[in-house]
Amino acid sequence: MRPPLQPNRDTDNTLLAVENVSLRFGGVKALTGVSFDIRKGEIRAIIGPNGAGKTSMLNCINGFYHPTDGRIIFKGEMRRKMRPHVAARGGIARTFQNVALFKSMSTLDNIMVGRSLKMKAGFFWQLLRYGPAIEEEVAHRKVVEDIIDFLQIPHIRRTPVGRLPYGLQKRVELGRALAMEPDLLLLDEPMAGMNLEEKEDMARFIIEVNQQFGTTVALIEHDMSVVMDLSDRVVVLEYGRKIADGTPEQVKSDARVIDAYLGVAH
Amino acid sequence: MLYREAGQFKTTYFSDMAVFRLREDRTGLAVVVVAAYGLAFVGTDFLLQAVLIPFLVFSLAAIGLNILTGYAGQLSLGTGAFMGVGAYSCYKLMTAFPDVNVIIWILVSGLFSAAVGALFGLPSLRIKGFYLAVATLAAQFFLQWCFIRVPWLVNYNVSGALDAPLRTVFSIPVVGATATSQARYIVVLTLVIALTWLASNLVRGRIGRMWIAVRDMDLAAELIGIRPLQTKLLAFAVSSYYCGVAGALMVFLWYGGAEYDVFNINQSFFILFMVIIGGLGSLIGSFFGAALIFIMPILLGIILPALLVPFGLSIGAETIEHLRFMIVGALIIFFLIVEPHGLARLWQIGKQKLLVWPFPY
Amino acid sequence: MDILYKAFVEPFLFMSEAPDLLLQTLWEGLVSGVLYALIALGFVLIFKASGVFNFAQGIMVVFAALTLVGLYEKGVPALLALLLTAGVMLLLAIAVERIVLRPLVNQPDIILFMATFGLTYFLVGLGELVFGGSPKEMIADALYLPQGTTELTLLGGPVRFQHLDIAAAVIASIIIAALAVFFSRTRIGRALRAVADSHKAALSVGISLNQIWVIVWFAAGIVALVAGIMWGARSGVSFSLQIIALKALPVLILGGFTSVPGAIIGGLIVGVGEKVGEFYWGPLVGGGIDTWLAYVIALLFLLYRPQGLFGERIIERI
Repeated sequence: MRPPLQPNRDTDNTLLAVENVSLRFGGVKALTGVSFDIRKGEIRAIIGPNGAGKTSMLNCINGFYHPTDGRIIFKGEMRRKMRPHVAARGGIARTFQNVALFKSMSTLDNIMVGRSLKMKAGFFWQLLRYGPAIEEEVAHRKVVEDIIDFLQIPHIRRTPVGRLPYGLQKRVELGRALAMEPDLLLLDEPMAGMNLEEKEDMARFIIEVNQQFGTTVALIEHDMSVVMDLSDRVVVLEYGRKIADGTPEQVKSDARVIDAYLGVAH
Repeated sequence: MLYREAGQFKTTYFSDMAVFRLREDRTGLAVVVVAAYGLAFVGTDFLLQAVLIPFLVFSLAAIGLNILTGYAGQLSLGTGAFMGVGAYSCYKLMTAFPDVNVIIWILVSGLFSAAVGALFGLPSLRIKGFYLAVATLAAQFFLQWCFIRVPWLVNYNVSGALDAPLRTVFSIPVVGATATSQARYIVVLTLVIALTWLASNLVRGRIGRMWIAVRDMDLAAELIGIRPLQTKLLAFAVSSYYCGVAGALMVFLWYGGAEYDVFNINQSFFILFMVIIGGLGSLIGSFFGAALIFIMPILLGIILPALLVPFGLSIGAETIEHLRFMIVGALIIFFLIVEPHGLARLWQIGKQKLLVWPFPY
Repeated sequence: MDILYKAFVEPFLFMSEAPDLLLQTLWEGLVSGVLYALIALGFVLIFKASGVFNFAQGIMVVFAALTLVGLYEKGVPALLALLLTAGVMLLLAIAVERIVLRPLVNQPDIILFMATFGLTYFLVGLGELVFGGSPKEMIADALYLPQGTTELTLLGGPVRFQHLDIAAAVIASIIIAALAVFFSRTRIGRALRAVADSHKAALSVGISLNQIWVIVWFAAGIVALVAGIMWGARSGVSFSLQIIALKALPVLILGGFTSVPGAIIGGLIVGVGEKVGEFYWGPLVGGGIDTWLAYVIALLFLLYRPQGLFGERIIERI
């Protein structure tokens, strides 16, 4: 277990700030006035009971949904109605609760797609698959192979991901997100449906990514022991509202959090 | 021990990324290409003109549609019209600048088709699946109407039809009535081989991966930074380019002249069938599909009457045509049930089996 | 400027100068709109219950009409031929369920869509093989469909109403109403809607998918038969009817794939839109624009509202 970062109100250190964000679908309020921030280099957990709006929050952060109210500031810039691909270009990568891989492609290709943004060779070189196009392809293939080694999945390199077991698919998806070399990595339940061993592997990968590459991580997770061990700070949502925010210790002892998870004593 | 992966080690990523990773595959391809050119010299006029040239033209159109539907996942029912754009622009260019090599105009006419294709691809940003298919019907019927109603397209020709003026390459006629089927065949074959090679480069690189990503899950593709509109439009443009060139080849090197009606909706369906039967998302499948859908009925026309002769029955050409429709329809259903991924998948399975033969796996 | 005047002013002047002609055009548009709606209904029925986008609906219209006329020509009395044709449509429904749908259950939508393409070609070949490819006359008399015209003087000019058109509109309306009641009031109708929502959930509460599929394909077959009789009486029975049937697709787009009222309104918009467009704006560009106008209207509409008039708003999730 790592010592929590010292609380630091220095704004320069803020990578992403969520300010007063609300999200409505017709009459359904998914989020109401949520504010929190994510600092550079930390692992930030978002927890809460089912239907608390955690995934909606991530969807807002990477531009898949647009908040009905409030604003999101990333790297000091506020963007209205940001499209997801713009968010991706800005350095936000993401994995999904229900794995969103390209099922017919191999592991290798799935991670290679993650490099698309970094590849620059023009259409006509691509057409000839010669010169810059092939050089680039080889260079990025090396990066992708490194990621595959890092995630310990070389044996499934050429397997179409649709045929892989769930645990491995989640790993490939992490690989694809890493291939984007993001500044902010959003992980939506990275350990859902895994057994203990797989969870330990995944936790190790997340910590290594965070420490080796300095990638900021925001993750949603249900397994409390994982959240408490992994994260520097935790934000707790319930029914679309923020009910607590702080270090794992602070959150663990917060009365409202205990109520939300265990139910209010009558 | 003819077909083995063992012993062929790849020491660079470059060699590992080759199209044909096995020596045997490369030899096989070389044999096929040499044989295809060889046929130009030994094949009969009927074989070249009525079987092989159309087969190659349809294969090219099928590759075009496969890029759009098979790789990028955008269903299109406008293939026939996009082929028409290629044919009509080729006619205009060819007659306006008669001195320029006709092969250049055939390749350039694809660009017009690509532009029109991209224009009609614009709705694909907002419209998906079946809805998009109906949107492409707008292209089909609108363009077909243009072919009929805009006499400028056929140089105010009274018949309203496209004709093939004489054009030569190295002073050998390749377009027009005096062109031999041998010359036409070699031109078509060379263009199809070259364009297939380019297409295979494209689909294996970054652009191909982006297309497949958009097809498999467009939302996820956007979330990793792929611009959906540009990616889809590129697919529309490249696809229409191939269809346009195929259309120009069809009119000037196969039919030797045509009316607007050859670009009707049935042509669009016909090519769609080739793509489905051959295998969505497979270039070699496009050839298989074209072979099955185009050549099978020809064989049927030869075999069926022959089969009935011993019984003293004769069968009209019309009946064969009807049977052809029924059989094509039944085959489509049959293949979808047996192997929804088409002939290309069967080919792949066959190769896999051969690789490990005599063991089952 | 001249072209702008011709495109945006002249047609409206013409409309106000000769309101009787406008009325005539609207009436003709409405009638073909009702018939488009009828074909579109066949699509909606099948799409609602099985999620299959049945491309073969158009050819089913032709096939039903051909069978009816073909049987009559072979000496079967008209009403008996009608019954027999209904029987053929039932056999077709059973065959489709057995041979096409059952083996393809749980395949992606696109595969089922393609399978209906195969079915289309098969039916084209079969229809031509059995009844020949030449166009036929619909047996309007023998089926007691009214003939003749009524001419009324309305808005200062004569407006003609073909009795056949009136009958078509009435019959189509009755069928549409009957289907609406069938969907909302009967046990089978409710089962159909359950199946449309989720195949697995419907199975789990004891609804037989196979039976439902036969029923909807049969219902769609009957709708196709009626549409075939009406269209056939107006423009002859031939395979070119198939192109008319394709116009049901823009209708579906306007109305949304799953909505019965949507199909009706969409049909009317397309019918009226293309008749008015062709009559007032067609001459500007050389005529014949009704071959594509419907698709372009649908396309423009889709850009504005991708889910159709009555389709539910799509909330994308990931």
